[in-house]
Amino acid sequence: MFYQLKQILSQTTAQYADIRYEILGETRIVFNGKELIHIGTNSSDGFVIRVLKNGGLSSIAFTKLKDASKALKTAEQNACLLSINSKKPVEFAKTEVYKDSFSPVLKEDPRNITIDEKLDLLRKYNDIPLSYEKVITTNIFYNEVIREKFFLNTEGTEIKEDLITTSIGGLITAKEGSLIQNIRVSGGGSTGFSILRNRESEFENRTKILLELLKAEQAKGGIYNVLINQDLAGVFTHEAFGHFSEADLIEDFPSMREKMQIGAVLGTEILNITDDPTIPGQLGFYKYDDEGVLARPVKLMKNGILSGRLHSRRTAAAFKENITGHCVAEDYRYAPIIRMGNIFIEPGDKKLDEMLDSLGNGLYLLDAKGGQTSGENFTFGAQYGYIIKDGKKAKMIRDINISGNLYQTLKNISAVGNDLVFCETGGCGKGQLNIRSCHGGPHILIKELVVGGV
Amino acid sequence: MEELLQIAQKKGCKAEVFFSEGYSDIVSFEDSKLKNIDSKILSGISLRIIKDNKLGFAYTRNLLNKEELVNNALKSLKGGVDGFFEFPLTQNLKNLDTYSPDIEDISNNLLVEECKRLCDTILQKISCQINVTAQKTVNSLRLINTSGTELSVISSSYALTTELVYPYSSASLYRVIAGKSFIKAGDEYINFLTENYGHSLKEVKANSGRMKVIFLPETLYVLMWRLQTAASSNSLYQNISPLAGRIGEKVFDEKFTVFNDPLNDSIPGARAFDDEGVQCRQFPIVEKGIFRNFYYDLYFAERLKTDSTGNGFRASVSSKPSPALRHIYIVPGDKSFSDLIQSIDKGIIVGGALGAHSGNIPNGDFSIGISPAIYVENGNVVGHIKDAMAAGNIYETLTNIIDVENKTYISHGGNCPSILFNEVNVIIK
Repeated sequence: MFYQLKQILSQTTAQYADIRYEILGETRIVFNGKELIHIGTNSSDGFVIRVLKNGGLSSIAFTKLKDASKALKTAEQNACLLSINSKKPVEFAKTEVYKDSFSPVLKEDPRNITIDEKLDLLRKYNDIPLSYEKVITTNIFYNEVIREKFFLNTEGTEIKEDLITTSIGGLITAKEGSLIQNIRVSGGGSTGFSILRNRESEFENRTKILLELLKAEQAKGGIYNVLINQDLAGVFTHEAFGHFSEADLIEDFPSMREKMQIGAVLGTEILNITDDPTIPGQLGFYKYDDEGVLARPVKLMKNGILSGRLHSRRTAAAFKENITGHCVAEDYRYAPIIRMGNIFIEPGDKKLDEMLDSLGNGLYLLDAKGGQTSGENFTFGAQYGYIIKDGKKAKMIRDINISGNLYQTLKNISAVGNDLVFCETGGCGKGQLNIRSCHGGPHILIKELVVGGV
Repeated sequence: MEELLQIAQKKGCKAEVFFSEGYSDIVSFEDSKLKNIDSKILSGISLRIIKDNKLGFAYTRNLLNKEELVNNALKSLKGGVDGFFEFPLTQNLKNLDTYSPDIEDISNNLLVEECKRLCDTILQKISCQINVTAQKTVNSLRLINTSGTELSVISSSYALTTELVYPYSSASLYRVIAGKSFIKAGDEYINFLTENYGHSLKEVKANSGRMKVIFLPETLYVLMWRLQTAASSNSLYQNISPLAGRIGEKVFDEKFTVFNDPLNDSIPGARAFDDEGVQCRQFPIVEKGIFRNFYYDLYFAERLKTDSTGNGFRASVSSKPSPALRHIYIVPGDKSFSDLIQSIDKGIIVGGALGAHSGNIPNGDFSIGISPAIYVENGNVVGHIKDAMAAGNIYETLTNIIDVENKTYISHGGNCPSILFNEVNVIIK
């Protein structure tokens, strides 16, 4: 393959060019309730070329090899147009040249498991919630994504890396009277098929929570002190803080850039945040990013002080900061952009009981249900929660969305738990999807969050 | 494509081949500076087969091996996905004008120049961070099946989005212009953005409570998402639609009428047939507040013993068709946008929504961060509020319509006007 890719790049007149060819294998099985609605394994492939010419950087995605010359020409023309219309030429931070082939160590390669076995496992899990009378439907899927990537650039780097992601998950829906509630269930990761086995208790537990939600009270809108669990803390870290650690999001965003300066005091002293794609076994693991840079851990916040950010080669040069290896694409249809790998709040020293005690009166919210950010403002949903009275769990609540301001919230984090957990499935959208976006955190206590009920 | 059908037929299958091919160029400016020009030339092909009432599916980007694609589809039959429907025979469709040859003359240079012109014009009126993207796309689809259907369409589209960003947040006021070919952004477009942004730039404080709220065409999708979910045959089949058994019932305000409007070829994306070859047609979802129709694809139509409404669309060649409302049209009312604002004593314009995808969507609940929350007092835009959320349920909110704007705009939610609602719960920190 590298020979063909080299032939394509040999036609370039640019000072730098790279090409990524990917074969994307997908296996998907979906149940809606008892009904199997999709099953199949497919493979597709395509190319992305990027060129840096006269200080203009442009990319093109294409699917047919015969379009390669035309694509390269288009990318070069676009790069020239960028260069003519830009005051500041794009530069790339220097990186080592690598020649490497990397496949992750897997506990059971999903390619060696028959689709019948995958179907049987999924059906077994799907039957668990459906055995309860009040569960009216499920939307449960098995998803297997195998990216075989070939990356080559004009500096001499040649990398073949495979990323293998398996997950089982979906939505369980129950109804009582006119009230419909649902809950998400998920499991999976980057370590092979075996992580999906023996997950019956997960489906049992989620179903029980769902049935309790049918009896829960609606959250009442207002301002509350809240304790959020690991999954929500992870989503908060990802949505509210993490995205503004992505240099491409703040590069041409003067007011955010002014606030996100290295050394700025943003959070309380107990807050430490790191992004590390190199943690073996976590969902967000990879060795090289999609511009051939070796991934490395980045300490983003140290004792509340902003200490690093995530970069591509372009932004590392523009910010005059170190390269980090965080430029990742969804697949062959996209040029890479800056993404988080495994972002997490480092654990503190508080136990859950101590945190509930110090919360006193407020809300204990658990598990994320979607999140979004816009500048300083973030909103995300919680799957369920409890009213806390005098440090004790009282009634369960449902239909909870929380909203806040990043900077105020970082300063309102008053305790960090000792119980770090990473998520097993991801799905961050930023123009393209990142199914391996992984976040983690311990329980954290936040003062004065806006909670929107209904 | 024909060869694929023949191979599938030889293996005893009924079959459908769907082919999509297109290219796009997108130019983006951030903070009034040219940031990116990206292009795509993508194609793909997918195959559905039905054998012994079971449905198989496969897709690929490069049709290097036709037998392999058919074999992948045959393998997927083994799972046992039901396929009791027939691929339709669709012929003699109305010819829609979906392609403007002028699109081929739009150079990336022209897109850059238009974005630059907009930034310069706006900066002469107001100082702010401006992000602009301009995109041109040409896409052709072809669909054939063993029932004898042979359909194709070529579509062109041009879209430009201008965002004026509020300082210290990426909350922005934005508006889209879209057409089948290049449309120069005019004064009305620019003035809507600069005037409303200018008047709302100041940060103001307000109290929580129930108040009047305008959802712009750009943010109405928050409510329409819930309605689309409820009106989908998929939700009906799964017994999770609050609209089940309510056809003919007045569910919403009588000022609210929503059509499935795929045949309007004055705007980009019109379709005479859906992605499974069923004829598309215009029909009301809600008419003067009365719920009129669910929408169906072939699969759910068969399950529910009715006919497809021509709403089977695919997210891409790698997904099977599913029921989708791609062509929403909300019928405009008789008040101008400034009339809507003038009738607010105290209220908010939802300029952007955060977290529209979270919450209990089948139930109709929404709970969104408003970003920006543009504050209106005594008929005038006076500023914006930080940390505001709007929460409610569409079966209440859509019964509380004060007025509907007299003009529609194309946005990702469809072809919609602004709508002024009464008594929406707003929580402000």
